[in-house]
Amino acid sequence: MRSARWALATVALLSLAAAAAVLRRSAERTAPPPAETQLDVPPIPGEVSRSLAFGFRSLLADFTFLEAIQVLGTRSGKLRAERYRAQDRRLERLLDYSVEVDPKFAGAYRFAGTALPHETVDGQALGVLAAVSVLERGARERPDDWHIPFQLGFLQSYYLHDYARAAKNLSLATQAEGSPPYLGLLATRVAAHGGELETALQLAQTMLAQANEEETRREWKARVDALLMERDLRRIEAAALRYKGERGSFPPSLAALVAAGDLPFEPEEPHGGRYLLDDSGHARSTAAERLRVYGGAHLEVH
Amino acid sequence: MVRVVAAISGNTVRELVRSKLLYNLLVFAALFIGGSLFVAQLTIGSWVRVIVDMGLAAIEIAGAIMAIVIGVGLVAGEVERKTILPTLAKPVPRWAFCLGRYLGLTGLLAVNVALMLVVLAVVLRLAGYGLSATVIEAALLIAVELYVLSAVALLFASFSTPILASAFAFSVFLIGHLLSDLEAFAQRSQSEAARTLARGFYFLLPDLELLNLKAQAANELTAAASFVWHSAAYGLVYAALVLLLAIFIFARRDLG
Repeated sequence: MRSARWALATVALLSLAAAAAVLRRSAERTAPPPAETQLDVPPIPGEVSRSLAFGFRSLLADFTFLEAIQVLGTRSGKLRAERYRAQDRRLERLLDYSVEVDPKFAGAYRFAGTALPHETVDGQALGVLAAVSVLERGARERPDDWHIPFQLGFLQSYYLHDYARAAKNLSLATQAEGSPPYLGLLATRVAAHGGELETALQLAQTMLAQANEEETRREWKARVDALLMERDLRRIEAAALRYKGERGSFPPSLAALVAAGDLPFEPEEPHGGRYLLDDSGHARSTAAERLRVYGGAHLEVH
Repeated sequence: MVRVVAAISGNTVRELVRSKLLYNLLVFAALFIGGSLFVAQLTIGSWVRVIVDMGLAAIEIAGAIMAIVIGVGLVAGEVERKTILPTLAKPVPRWAFCLGRYLGLTGLLAVNVALMLVVLAVVLRLAGYGLSATVIEAALLIAVELYVLSAVALLFASFSTPILASAFAFSVFLIGHLLSDLEAFAQRSQSEAARTLARGFYFLLPDLELLNLKAQAANELTAAASFVWHSAAYGLVYAALVLLLAIFIFARRDLG
């Protein structure tokens, strides 16, 4: 009698465990995707959260900022634009939320200026307009931090080719305490020669020199390398044209160009690859795509 | 009479030093502040913001729980357990009892804030940062906020049960941080009654946001010294007013 009761209890226990496992699996299969991946706006608007944080708004902003950093950490190399949409939207939302909850959060503005804009393999620059919008707010809220108007000026010059506004924001950056003394000169250069590659390179190198964090340095290093590569490719193509002018045909290789004296030396590819020259005098790198924004190809800015 | 008040406040400190709740909260706050060092590693840029944010939040949360829960227990708890009667049977006026209890509690809260600030300074030092003047000012204003909350807790404890008094005091803590929104609500509301009620609360309740410098400290911004002293003075005067009201009510309460 007693063993029958034990057997019954064991069977019931095992049945329930099996049912729980099956039900869990089926619930997991039918579960909707996480709300945060579906929502364009947070469940509670930042303005409301600021009040409901009951005086702990900067702490709340820290948590959304830390989440944004984790989201950026999962962003993989260069893909097509549609592969980034959901992730970018989440990053934008989190950073926007951080500065909405704590409008004085200088770190979030600086991070937004570096992390939001990025290029895709299909010729799109994503997150530029979102970054500009966040940085414009940052420049108003934190006039004491020169990095914010500087980043804004960089994006306006580099992606939007709005040199007048870029120069204005760079001048604004010079007024903040601790800004590098050469910023004023850079602002003047952007106003006069905004579209020049050399100016863009100087801006990017300034940001790289000032970036302390590994993540930010990586982003700016990538921009500097892309610009250095573009400068090399232009020099090679200009030399190839000179070679053609003298000899009637493009050089068969880069080495021939150097041997002929049209190029002083074979430049070192900044990504670790090599430069190649094709029959039509076009140069390319074996390691990276040519920079669209300065290389002539169309770049769709979002 | 000063000696009576001093004796009661000394007794209160001795009682509270033996309280397990106090140590639990202190350990919680210290762990929270220490934990900020690990959370800060997840961030990009300066760690100081995360450490200061978490540190000041721990000081305020632990302090607010102490001020409310212990503050209520010091009067309402004694009344409920009837342990107040032997004390009042001696030549101890009720106002001296209330004042002594309040001073004992606030003295202990000041020591706790100072201790937690030291822990925060150590954590900041381990991360390679120093304690800024704004962080010290923020901690000072948190201490003043705790004085206000202690007085509010004593006020509710003077006429209510411990649970209700804690709930009321905690509500004041929350609404006190929402007063600017309450004012905005009063301005926007269509209903005259709602406007009057919101305005009434706005003028009646303590504006605890005036005692909140945490965001300034976390963003490494400075606050005008005049603001800090005016806010601190406002908090202390408000606390004195509420304490006076608590004494007034408690003096007339039937404890039988």
